[in-house]
Amino acid sequence: MKLLPCPLNGLRNISEFTYGGEYHPMPDHRASSTRDWAEHVFFHDNAAGIVTEWWCHTASSFWFLAERNTITDEIIRTFKADEIYQHRVEFEALAPGNDS
Amino acid sequence: MAILEPSSVLRRSPLNRRHLQSHGLFKKVGENLLVEHYANEDGTFEEYKQAQVLAICDLCTLPRIGFKGAGALAWLKSQNITLPELPNTAAQQNNAGLAAKLSEQEVLILSDVFALNQDVNNLSTKADIEHQDCDQKTYVLPRGDSHCWLAVTGMKAAEMFSKICAVDLRGHKFSVGSVAQTSVAKTNAVVIRNDLGSIPCFYILSDISGTEFLWDCLLDAMVEYKGYPVGINALHRLIAEK
Repeated sequence: MKLLPCPLNGLRNISEFTYGGEYHPMPDHRASSTRDWAEHVFFHDNAAGIVTEWWCHTASSFWFLAERNTITDEIIRTFKADEIYQHRVEFEALAPGNDS
Repeated sequence: MAILEPSSVLRRSPLNRRHLQSHGLFKKVGENLLVEHYANEDGTFEEYKQAQVLAICDLCTLPRIGFKGAGALAWLKSQNITLPELPNTAAQQNNAGLAAKLSEQEVLILSDVFALNQDVNNLSTKADIEHQDCDQKTYVLPRGDSHCWLAVTGMKAAEMFSKICAVDLRGHKFSVGSVAQTSVAKTNAVVIRNDLGSIPCFYILSDISGTEFLWDCLLDAMVEYKGYPVGINALHRLIAEK
């Protein structure tokens, strides 16, 4: 059984986790196009090498980030999301008709 | 003495059918109906002895509640709840209840097994009034409706858990007040060590819709050690004779 160190719960069997996709910095929602959003939400780089990924410890519903080498499957480190997300992101509604 | 029927109360345990099949005799603990002991001549004493070795007890009808959000910890402190410092640890309350910190922003509150006070129910009522506005950053979690509550007691409990849980629950690794959010019998569960007297006791809180499944899995794992279900009287006696 592979093991993954959860920043909240410690070292646990990989069967307790769910993969949540690659981490990408979120584009500025006020300045980005729908294409940029589609890239951000749906498209993955699928890079060979060290990538940052979202993982969830399902027993505690705790989402965190992991740096993983996709070639060797080695976990470099895991860390809490608040290392990146320091402030709440507010999404103001756009004016009607402005879908860019 | 009149025999109490589970159908006479509003809230029944999701294990009610199992208890009826096992000829459980019920009693009121506070406002809640629990199995007093299962039918046999000297049920309570036999079950008390069994609880020292390996037994399981259904606490599903006892009060419990959770709080989550950026303001949850501060609000609970203002309500005189003693909070543990670290996540995944639990602190005993003055009223013999328990507060388990599940993350930096989430706490689970359990009543004591005698349900002597109304503190959990009062907390729930107060929270509903004070936190209707989401900006308060404290959200109430109805754990009594979302999670079952079982107690596994006895000197053989940690050994039995090693068959169905990957976290090492032996005393020197998982001391009193430790909390593990993990998988038990392939079901997500919160395991809290809260010894009763000198006997190891593990509370298990898991999705209430899978209670019968988890109960059966635990009984199956306990067969090897001749463990079986006991009523609340056995747990009360463990606490009384510490």
